Amino acid sequence: MSVSVVSYGVYLPYLRLKREEYISAWGSCSAEIKEKTVMDVDEDVLTMAVAAAKDALEHIEAEQVSVLALASTSFPYQEKVMAGTIMEALGLPSDVLATHHGHSTLAGTEALLTACSLLAQAGGKYALVVVSDAPSASTAQDIEHSLGAAACAFVLAKEEPGLVLEGAYGYVSEVMGVRYRQAGERGIRDIGVRSFAAQAYTRAVEAAVTGLLKKLECSSEAYRHVVLHYYDLRTTASLGKRLGFSEEQLKGGLVYERIGDTGACSTLLGLCQTMENISPGDRVLVCAYGAGSGSQAVGFVLEQEKPACKTPLSVLLEKKRYISYTHYLKLKGVI
Amino acid sequence: MGAHISIPMYQRAIPQRYRLVGQKCVKCGKVNFPPKAVCKYCLSSAEFAPVKLSGRGTVYSYTVIAGGGAPPEFAEIARCKGRYPVALVQLEEGPVIIAQLVDVPEEEEIFIGMPVEAVFRKIYEEEGVIRYGIKFRPA
Repeated sequence: MSVSVVSYGVYLPYLRLKREEYISAWGSCSAEIKEKTVMDVDEDVLTMAVAAAKDALEHIEAEQVSVLALASTSFPYQEKVMAGTIMEALGLPSDVLATHHGHSTLAGTEALLTACSLLAQAGGKYALVVVSDAPSASTAQDIEHSLGAAACAFVLAKEEPGLVLEGAYGYVSEVMGVRYRQAGERGIRDIGVRSFAAQAYTRAVEAAVTGLLKKLECSSEAYRHVVLHYYDLRTTASLGKRLGFSEEQLKGGLVYERIGDTGACSTLLGLCQTMENISPGDRVLVCAYGAGSGSQAVGFVLEQEKPACKTPLSVLLEKKRYISYTHYLKLKGVI
Repeated sequence: MGAHISIPMYQRAIPQRYRLVGQKCVKCGKVNFPPKAVCKYCLSSAEFAPVKLSGRGTVYSYTVIAGGGAPPEFAEIARCKGRYPVALVQLEEGPVIIAQLVDVPEEEEIFIGMPVEAVFRKIYEEEGVIRYGIKFRPA
């Protein structure tokens, strides 16, 4: 049975914080961002999820959705069936098979792959995957500078033309102290040893990508677009090169610079970006990474029509209002 | 003093609060929102069919809440934003409802007749429970 993405939706909060705001407040900005998205006081992961999912369902009958996979590292509740909120807001049937994914930035691809498998068992026509994230950390930490917010949603269908999933490859290993959050804590932290963290990232992503290429018997040139989980400009670029991908292949899915680190959403937002520049027959490779650590590479090929989208990412990137760092601190509840 | 809405009361209104489900009068065909026991237009029918409203509408009138004018459940928003716009929105199906306006570039840019669309947002938090509902943004 083939499963394909037939439509998708993206949501970016309206507020933006510029890099210069960090420089004037702290003297420097530790993230390679130009600006980043910021949730308003009345937004959270679930409201963003609903916004992205509504767009993805624009031409789909909600009654036909039989699987709902929800992913975030930063749900508003640590315990509650949050699919209920999404299901009511969208008017999905109450017999939808729902799953929640969290605990690392791998949650997004986890939700996508789970929905693919569940769709085979579910009676209905469509699966809805909603990935929404807004990681947070103490504003005193360097890691906080990069943290943004965004959501994306995908409608998967059985045996329909669209962005067809060709295969997936996973990798896990034990890596301590790199981006973690203990139970009950609100913010992520790391032990701050960058070279150690970069090594773990490189090892994980490399393992999943090379594994997938081998499994699918594809060469690195077979892909029009390659979206690797963004670590930092230098590390991600040199890893891409080592895996045999050109700059041309890698640049189509780069969204970090204008949105920031959106956790579980990061690589899938990159996938949404590549949809704006894709033709039938093109292949796309996406590799997500979660510290601790693990990676999941997913391969797609576009058959016939590209997935429908109401408001593409390029349009949302221009809909914005800049805020000051002081206002940002108010939104974060710091002052 | 704010009007306290208990969790069971809020829960009963979830379809209308989360996705604008109204009711169409079987007799006169008009749309009631929020739902009523008897149609407020023909005053003679209590039979309705549920109808999901589009969420599209225009600003019928508006005001800006500032300077401590917010009810207690909106105190957090008032504290963070300083001031925030609230509008009467005329929905394209007919009903006029009251809701906050969000994602407005500048307060001065709001005008009567401005096209708006519904968005799902946090309304307020009470008893550690997040109350979600509908606000409007420029369409």
